[in-house]
Parts: sequence; structure tokens; C-alpha cells
Amino acid sequence: MAFEIGIMTFGEITADLTTGALPSPRQRVRETIEQAKAADEVGLDVFGVGEHHRSDFVGSAPAILLAAAAEQTKRIRLTSSVTVLSSEDPVRVWEQFATIDLLSAGRAEIIAGRGSYTESFPLFGYDLSDYADLFRENLDLLLKIREQNPLTWKGRFRAPLVDADIAPRADGATIPVWVGVGGSPASAVSTGRLGLPMALALLLGPITFHEQTVALYRESAAKAGHDVDALRISINAHGYVGRTSQEARDVMYPYFAKGIADNNHQRGKGLLLPRAAFDAQSSPGAGLLVGSPQEIIDKLLAYHELYGVSRAIMQMGFGGLPQKEHLEAIERLGTEVAPVVRREVAAREGRTA
Amino acid sequence: MTTSVVDAEPAARMDGAALRVVVVNGSPNQPSKTMGLVDVVLDMLGGMLPMETSRIDVYRLGPGFTGAIGRDDVTPEVEAALRLAEDADLLIAAAPVFRGTYPGMFKHFFDLVDQYALANKPVLLAATGGGDHHALVLEHALRPLFAFFQALTVPVAFFASAGDFDGTRLLNPRIYGRIEVGLADVADLLKARATSSPATPDA
Repeated sequence: MAFEIGIMTFGEITADLTTGALPSPRQRVRETIEQAKAADEVGLDVFGVGEHHRSDFVGSAPAILLAAAAEQTKRIRLTSSVTVLSSEDPVRVWEQFATIDLLSAGRAEIIAGRGSYTESFPLFGYDLSDYADLFRENLDLLLKIREQNPLTWKGRFRAPLVDADIAPRADGATIPVWVGVGGSPASAVSTGRLGLPMALALLLGPITFHEQTVALYRESAAKAGHDVDALRISINAHGYVGRTSQEARDVMYPYFAKGIADNNHQRGKGLLLPRAAFDAQSSPGAGLLVGSPQEIIDKLLAYHELYGVSRAIMQMGFGGLPQKEHLEAIERLGTEVAPVVRREVAAREGRTA
Repeated sequence: MTTSVVDAEPAARMDGAALRVVVVNGSPNQPSKTMGLVDVVLDMLGGMLPMETSRIDVYRLGPGFTGAIGRDDVTPEVEAALRLAEDADLLIAAAPVFRGTYPGMFKHFFDLVDQYALANKPVLLAATGGGDHHALVLEHALRPLFAFFQALTVPVAFFASAGDFDGTRLLNPRIYGRIEVGLADVADLLKARATSSPATPDA
């Protein structure tokens, strides 16, 4: 299966490290679309926008950003990364992504996730204690909408659908729906049972972090009768492609450390990731995709070997990486990393790229 | 109450006798992951031998329980719950980890249990926690509590983390495997302990 490489963003709005100035939301939406355009032009395969309902991210409505990206791109696939499906109406999600699919001539995808942030629940009137049940029911409905129209369906959390005509339909045969999985055994098992492609998220930790996740996913898929070899897995991880090893780490570190401090609290306060910890996370045995083009090639191939992933999506802007550096890294990823990884994976799998 | 060690000696197994299983549930939530884990244990156990199950939700015992400083203070309903646990053929002690250990309410129940009522009684331990780092609550908190009672604590205890559940339904197949192994270890012992008649005349 062809190896796909892409990028994703949350549309971070982070204060400049030296001046303390915040970029305007208007600037950040334009920059987000510019990233999609740049990724498309250098031949990357996927562009993703994550959903966060806070003023330090501009991506509360990924579908709208992806629709704008559809107009500026030709070939790249456009995905949410992720759609917080537990607090969404699946009918609306389908309508929006089917519209993106029409605008982009069949390039829309959805990564359905539970979301690692919980702000959307009170915003849309959902109870956080229904977290798991909401996700299960909404995913079921989304898949049924994808399969058939008109649809009759009944669940616990929304009004029943009776012979409902849900339009538009996908541009082509279907819209891929992946499930975002953070590594809990239960998510791996339930995703495998459904036979859906799995988007693994890895924040920090050893590169082997998801070995059990993948094993459980494959076991439960096989048990449910799905063709395990046809199931796709992607790795979604933070990183930065620099000119050299050292430059990549020096550029990424201060922003990533700030992103972690702003988003990963200890005792209710942000903890600045020490440089030594960051360097350890950048080593070959750790999951972070930071380094020279050759280092990124090696690590993506290591991910392929470990988990059989056929897609990797890198998040390079966490913590407010400036647009100039972001665009340069996109170019290196598309021109120096992706062609080599695609060729090497094809060779491993006995195909020609 | 004067229950002695002798009262809890294995009773002769009668034909068709069922194992009287009593679950002491230390979770305040309904439904709960803790009971999600116990449900799997009960399902598998039920497949191995005839049994009858009762459950005591310590968080639902009310002021007659929470206000009791000693056994003499409890209301008749709470006394009945304590007797039920004391007379079980198999006690399943199940609790979530709160603030580093089992909840105080769960301990309060066992503070009211007679000192010798659980001696030589099979006790199965189960616990849930937010993450795997809580797993040793079984060995470092629950097991010593039942060591005090001189209970016959089953060697393999069961722990599940929040990530092993979809809501309150246990999904991780590895924990199912562990439960199977843990129960198989003691299946013969439990069959021998099965008795559907009252265990002791004075209980």
C-alpha cells in the first residue's frame, strides 16, 4: 500500500517567543491555508486540521478551514485531525465533509476522535460523563449515514431519523473515516472490531509506545472477521524537518516546549519541557519526528517496520512555530523526505513507487 | 458476635449446592468501571460453577452506615449487609483507587466486619484506577487488609485501568485472560466451598 506523508495543524495562536505579541486570528487562518497550499505544491499527500474550542487555537471549525484549503489545492487529501465526534451531530459532520468532498473532487477524509480536550462538551450541551457512549453512538450513526441514504436510525442522544434524506453524498464512492486513537487498549479494540483505519497519536514517549495498541487492534479486527492486511494505520506525531540534526532541534525546541507548557499541565501549571528531555525524545528510540531529512526518513521507516503504518502525519507548528520556518520544513518534508520514504517502503513491499 | 474460625471451615458440598458470592462494591458511581470489571469476573465464574450473587454498594448503605462508629450502632439493614458479607462462600472485594488507595467508605465497611468473620474465607480482589500506575493497590493496600482478617485471599487479583474500558464495559482482552487464569486456579477450591444452606447456626 502506497505510503502517504502529510502535515496537520491546530491553527495555533501562540505569543511570539521574543516579543510576546500574539498573531491575529485573521493572520493565522491565512497562514493555515498557505501551509495547505505549500504542502500540496511539494507533493505531500495529506493536510489535516484539528478541532479545539479555545482562543489559543484558530481551528474550532476544521471543516471551514478545509473547505478554504480545497479551493487552494489540487491533489492533497484534506482531513480533520481530529473531529471531536462525541460532541458533534454526525448528520452535520457528514454534510460538511461531503461538501468538502465535492469542492475538492473527492479529497475529503474524517478522523473521528474523542478529543484530548473537553471544552466542546459544555459548549454544545453534552455531559462529559457520557463521553464513551456519545462517541460510540455518534460513530455508529456517521458510518450508517455513509453507507445508506435515506436512513432510518435510532439512538439515545439525538432525535431518531426516519427515512431521512442526508445530502450531499460523497463525490466518489465514499469518504474515508479513520478513528483517532491515543493508545488506550479499549480504543484499539473497539476500532479493530469495526474494521476502521486507525490514526495513532503519539505525543511523547518511546517509538514502541503503541506496540500493544497495534497488537490489540489487529487481534480484535481479525477476531471480528476483517481483513487485517487491508487495514490502514497512520502515525500522527509532532516533529520538525530541519536542514541539519542540530538546526532542527534548536528551531523546534523552544516552541514545542512552550506548547507543552501551555497544554500539558502538572499540578495545574505548565511545565517547561527541559532541553535534555526534548533531546531524549528526539533520539532514534523515541517517537518525536525531529531532525535532518535523513533522520526523519530513518524514523518514518522505523515506524513503518514497527507498526506497518502506511501513513504518517506530522504536526510541526505546535507552540507557535513561525510561518517561515514552518513552510521551509514543509518543503523539506515534501521534496527530501517523502520521495525517499515512498520508494523505500515500496521496495520493502516489493512494489515500484 | 462470636463467629469462630471453625464456622468458616469448608462445608460438605451437597449436590446442586451453589456458591454464595457476595460483592462488596466500593465505587460511588452507577454504573462504574469497578462493577464493569466485576461483571466479567462473575460471568466467567458463573460459567465454571453454580452460584448465587448478591452485592453490597457501600456508598448506598446510608446514614445508618456512615454514622456508625461501631457495630452496635448500625441499623438493621446495615447489620443484614454485614452478615451477608460475613456469611458469603466467596467474597469479592472491589474498589476504585481514590486518593491513592481504596475509598474510606469501603474501609469503613470492613471496619465494621467482625474480626474473625472472614478467617479462611475465599476473598477475590478487584480494583480499578485511572492508570496502570495504580495497579499495586491490590497488593499493597487490599491484600494486607484481608491478611489482617486471615482470609483465604485468592493469589491472582484483578486490576483494570480507565483505558481498558469503553465507558464501563471492559474491552482489553488481556484482562479477560488474566481473570480466566486467576479463576481457574481456585475453581476446585470454590466448588468445594459451595453451599446454598446457611453456613453457621449463629450467623
